[in-house]
Amino acid sequence: MSRGTTAPTPPGPADPGQTGGTPLKLRLGVVSGDLALGLLCRGAAALVLLMLVALVGLLGHAALPSLRAFGADYFTSAEWRPNELTRPLRGPDGRVVVVDGERQTETLPPRFGALPVIYGTVATSLIALVFAVPLSLGAALFLVRVAPRWRAAAPVAFLIEFLAAIPSLAYGMWGAFVLVPFLGRHVEPLVFRALGDVTWLKFLFYRDNPVTGQSIRIPLEGRDMMAGGLILAIMILPIVTAVARDVLRAVPRSQIEGSLALGATWWQSSRAMLRYGRAGLFGAVMLGLARAAGETMAVTLVVGNRVEIVPSPFASIQTMASLLANQFNDPVTEVHRSALIGVALILLVISLLFNIVARSLVVGGQSRTALSD
Amino acid sequence: MTAIQANQLDRALVAAPASSMAASRAPLAAVSAQRFNAWYGPNHALVDVSLDIPVRHVTALIGPSGCGKSTFLRWINRMNDLVDTARAEGVLRLNGCDLLHRRVDLVDLRRRVGMVFQKPNPFPKSIYDNVAYGPRLHGSPGRAELDETVEACLRKAGLWDEVKDRLRDSALSLSGGQQQRLCIARTLAVNPEVVLMDEPTSALDPRATTRIEELIRTLREQYTIIIVTHNMHQAMRVSDRTAFFYHGRLIEQGPTDRVFNHPDHPETRDYVAGRFG
Repeated sequence: MSRGTTAPTPPGPADPGQTGGTPLKLRLGVVSGDLALGLLCRGAAALVLLMLVALVGLLGHAALPSLRAFGADYFTSAEWRPNELTRPLRGPDGRVVVVDGERQTETLPPRFGALPVIYGTVATSLIALVFAVPLSLGAALFLVRVAPRWRAAAPVAFLIEFLAAIPSLAYGMWGAFVLVPFLGRHVEPLVFRALGDVTWLKFLFYRDNPVTGQSIRIPLEGRDMMAGGLILAIMILPIVTAVARDVLRAVPRSQIEGSLALGATWWQSSRAMLRYGRAGLFGAVMLGLARAAGETMAVTLVVGNRVEIVPSPFASIQTMASLLANQFNDPVTEVHRSALIGVALILLVISLLFNIVARSLVVGGQSRTALSD
Repeated sequence: MTAIQANQLDRALVAAPASSMAASRAPLAAVSAQRFNAWYGPNHALVDVSLDIPVRHVTALIGPSGCGKSTFLRWINRMNDLVDTARAEGVLRLNGCDLLHRRVDLVDLRRRVGMVFQKPNPFPKSIYDNVAYGPRLHGSPGRAELDETVEACLRKAGLWDEVKDRLRDSALSLSGGQQQRLCIARTLAVNPEVVLMDEPTSALDPRATTRIEELIRTLREQYTIIIVTHNMHQAMRVSDRTAFFYHGRLIEQGPTDRVFNHPDHPETRDYVAGRFG
């Protein structure tokens, strides 16, 4: 910190007169202003780190009771049941057991398995990527290669980035009042009519009744995983496009000219650009994934909020963030609260991982492949 | 690149009918310019350049920085179409065909007019895939055919013996000189008629430079080569003909020997004597 010394003799020629040069000026002591500001900056930086560590530590501590209670089951069980459940007891044949003319019941204890919400988050995020990545890469190519010529780069980039400024809740309202009815009334019945009879696609439209084990139709209401994925796709579009644009912009001109000079078409040279920036583009996708995984309000309004695993995009599901928004306000028990905090911790760790991977791939808008050139 | 960009060319002076696209006379010159003018925005980069570049010779374009020699080169394969403000007028022909015509297929033009750049620019792919890139762009050659092309081109570029055991290695693992020879091999792989070289040795050490110069001399047998160079000794060593550009004008052209030893113009004399530039 205080590299200034108080040595009275300056280094250099013993007799400055010999060389005719002026001796170097030396600082006389610790400069108090520098010291204070230096400490302040280091303190601020440490505080940020400390907050992250404290956050993870506190969440971990608060989640401990549920982890202790359920162990590995917490990550592998597909059941999330905050309350006791009393239901008719069924025998191995699926029929309700009747003893002495009286229907028998069973009571299941509360159980907390995070798997359904992990599944919901992963599935909606992947659907979002499927729709958003091609659009984003296309938009980024347009912004880098076509728009400058039309002097449209700035306005179009502004509009795309404007999407990022729209509040999450606004997307959610639009999703609930426009997207969900549209999917439920028009798109999904159409898909059912087209594909409903295909045997190996049955999983899209039918599910097992969790109690009786019978196969039942999934109601096509539009309030499902697909709606969540589509909303997320729109919401991650700006960030993926913006990062992909920076990555593509960093592709050296010599690479593009090299491919054009060999007679590449516009599309062929664009593919060369995408290939050259692939590490950075992957990072852009990871950033989008991190955003999608953490998104809450818009998702909670459109996914139907049912904590279960049904492998169909037309089934209602629940995501981690949406579960927290729904249940954290009034947890039923302390274990319930602790289990919810556990979900928050998983979400935090996943988002951190995505961000770390993304940032290691995208360094200041340049992909790693570009840097190693 | 596209019709949109080609439209930006001001074709007022040369209203070439589509029929003139076909070669109308036996081409003595591979590339021929007549009263060729080029601009970047308001900057008049080339003024009334008339120059014939003979088939299967090495033609050196020399001149001080900013004299327009690279601009001239980059019009021959229409690389300047990438520059929004670039504009050209006059006649520029390849084998007698007007290559400035707005309907010229740039993919075909650039396949026939290859280009080697100032700084080696291999793709971040394997050595093999770099050479195979061009042939793959223009069709889907079979494995055996591709192997043959890659070997032949690497041999022509004098690189085969150095890389034959590591064709799958990244091209970025090669030295600068090897990378440049790889770029030459890559250019030859699409079987061009003309090879443009834009200061191909300016980023290389003397030894690598010597190898490239030897290579250029052997390639002359099969290709028409146009090389832009800052190094007058290089021009003397590798070229058959030399054209001297100054302030966007073609000052003098002729056999290299004559241009260097008995130049007609005082500017040429001063430049080749090293008095400026």
